[in-house]
Amino acid sequence: MAATKEGFSGSGDSTIIGPSILISGKLSGDEDLTVRGRVEGELSLTKTLIVEPSGIVKANVQVRNAIVSGVVVGNISATESVELTREGRMVGDINSPRVIIVDGASFRGRVDMGNAEPRAPGERPATRPATRPVLRTQPAAVTRPTTIARPGGKPLPPAAPVIASKGDKGSDKPAPPPPPQPVLVGEGGKKKVLLKTKKK
Amino acid sequence: MANTDQINIIGKGITIRGSMTGGGGLVIEGRVEGQIALKNHLTIESSGIVEADIRADELTINGTASGNIDASTKVSINQSAKVNGDIKATRVVIEDGAVFNGSIEMDVKLPDDI
Amino acid sequence: MANTIIGSSITIDGEISGDEDLVIQGTVKGKISLKESLFVEASASVEADIEVQNVEITGKVTGNIAATDKVELKADCRVVGDVRAPRILIADGASFKGNVDMDVKER
Repeated sequence: MAATKEGFSGSGDSTIIGPSILISGKLSGDEDLTVRGRVEGELSLTKTLIVEPSGIVKANVQVRNAIVSGVVVGNISATESVELTREGRMVGDINSPRVIIVDGASFRGRVDMGNAEPRAPGERPATRPATRPVLRTQPAAVTRPTTIARPGGKPLPPAAPVIASKGDKGSDKPAPPPPPQPVLVGEGGKKKVLLKTKKK
Repeated sequence: MANTDQINIIGKGITIRGSMTGGGGLVIEGRVEGQIALKNHLTIESSGIVEADIRADELTINGTASGNIDASTKVSINQSAKVNGDIKATRVVIEDGAVFNGSIEMDVKLPDDI
Repeated sequence: MANTIIGSSITIDGEISGDEDLVIQGTVKGKISLKESLFVEASASVEADIEVQNVEITGKVTGNIAATDKVELKADCRVVGDVRAPRILIADGASFKGNVDMDVKER
């Protein structure tokens, strides 16, 4: 096994959960995470979560970006984007300013991209009634047809603070993780995200 | 609406209130309020505004729609679309840039051990 | 071959189990049970009971370690806890506090 170890050392700081691995509990971090195995519990990252086709995440997820090609059961809250690829399967709610569902993906749950118009975070209908969300109560939104705007002023409020507080928990530990090193991360997945990200 | 395979167009200047049913394809460039039930393909163009519960075989949205959607095959919410409501369909596609708020119900086949 | 790496900025609080090699560069609290080898690298901090086949420690481990094959404490590691394995290697420069139990029947 010592031989295989050499292979690992050069792989930088990206985290991979292999196909036979099960993690149950809380997982948090500041780097990309690729799941080929199974993660249950809670997951919070300041970067990108990639659930590969063999991956299963049964957790509440807080991330910046999520790319789901495997299975997610639980809610995803992303500060930037959530993408379900054609192999992606998800049951749960998505809260993210950008949500992409590709043909072939399957999904059951609510999608909340927030409002195109900037709003105070408090006003945000975080828990809307499951049926009939805004419908006719909001004719105003409808009369403005071309507000396709993805404005820079769009609020991304709730997720960010939560992640921050999760990260803080790490520092309670007797030995906090070493200072983040420059990271060479998540090859394929990362690139994909950048392509689609219109940076604000 | 004609009961054929022809494509019907509701032009930009038109507003329709009430319920619409039919068998042909429909393209909405104007405004429709009420209910829509179609056996074919419905397209809401980017100038189109629909405030209605929609039933159709397939639905392509480039414009604005609010209401519940029930499609037997596919709903495509394209980049310029703004959609509010609950969707039930076999396939739902949301392009990057589209704005959607509501719920989606598709068949999700999960592994047994979940 | 599958390989699992827990990167240096990752913190896991819970249980990890599996049938493949695991490399830890980050922080793990809880329990680790593997049928293969565990590598606790220099940047890692592990506060967990560990059950593995082999373990190689360069980082910090607090907890009891049981290996079916071998435990290797490398130079610069810091280990506090009891170690049980048929083969135990402690390198010069390793710091270790705890009991060593090598009285395990090999299968």
